[in-house]
Amino acid sequence: MSARNHGLRGWVLQRLTALYLALFLLYLLVHLSVSAPATVAEWRAWVGDPLVNGAWAVFFAALLMHAWVGVRDVILDYVRPAGLRLIVLFALGLYLLALGYWALVVLLAVAP
Amino acid sequence: MQRSRARVCAGRGEWKGSVSDLVGKLPGERKMRFSIYRYDPDADRAPRMQSYELEAVEPGMMLLDALLRLKARDETLSFRRSCGEGVCGSDGMNINGRNGLACITPLAGLKEPVVLRPLPGLPVIRDLVVDMSRFYRHYRAVRPYLINRDPEPEVERRQSPRERERLDGLYECILCACCTTGCPSFWWNPDRFLGPAALLQAYRFIADSRDQATEERLDALEGPYRLFRCRNIMNCVEFCPKGLNPTRAIGHIRELMVKRSI
Repeated sequence: MSARNHGLRGWVLQRLTALYLALFLLYLLVHLSVSAPATVAEWRAWVGDPLVNGAWAVFFAALLMHAWVGVRDVILDYVRPAGLRLIVLFALGLYLLALGYWALVVLLAVAP
Repeated sequence: MQRSRARVCAGRGEWKGSVSDLVGKLPGERKMRFSIYRYDPDADRAPRMQSYELEAVEPGMMLLDALLRLKARDETLSFRRSCGEGVCGSDGMNINGRNGLACITPLAGLKEPVVLRPLPGLPVIRDLVVDMSRFYRHYRAVRPYLINRDPEPEVERRQSPRERERLDGLYECILCACCTTGCPSFWWNPDRFLGPAALLQAYRFIADSRDQATEERLDALEGPYRLFRCRNIMNCVEFCPKGLNPTRAIGHIRELMVKRSI
């Protein structure tokens, strides 16, 4: 997408990721209250399931994209000097990427 | 302003009240206190709040009536007004923290002292008069007129009653700026976010069956600032003295943008 639909892209992304986050959290809530893994081995087996593992990966991706759009909006509103804004946005991006990498490492560790 | 302080029945009767206390208790006639923002950039170093008291407030009086009476007494008090019945949109101001038109705000429902300030987010020219240039610039930016490239018809460009109905709730805007100056997104980005009033007008022409520039209009609203600073705070809906809903109009514009991008 071009820079032209920058506003729309962020807005749509925020809504779509919010939808997934809500559905996945609902699933998580139901699953953990109905059949919570009792031991570490059970927990690993559950997250190790390819479907669950994939759903977690999408969850983290959605969470980080959602956070990027949301916090970027706050920064656009409150951090006015262009240079400072660029630095803050860059730091935010780096931080979110690091979190994503961390989540990936954890998920791959238990992947089938 | 001088308050009547003539003591009556002072002495053995031991009544320590004043005439004005007595007047205040007569039915249908009461006093009201006001605290009004005063600022003259040429003379004052900083704005100040000035207290006023108005006697003989009659039932059914509007805030504008009170302001006119106060101005008759203190002619330096400045505010805009014209039609006096909520049609011209000149006397938008911040009344006890809420934006509204003085001429259609009944005094009866206002908490005292009635705190009057200029519309927030715009430069003050004097007292309650703000500089609306930025507001009008955003209004002009949405090209608030029909764009139709067909040859001009012999008669008017016709609409079905249904097509005309789609403009209801959009065309009634009187550009009083109560919505835009009450919008936090406008306060943060007054130079780049168009604000609810201009966006409502943008949708008024997008929704018009006779307009042929929908694509260009949607293009012009793209980018992170012009429309997408709207966070659905909905102060605009809360403040609009005509009961319009800019948030819904902005939602319709987003919907159209999503539809055409799919």
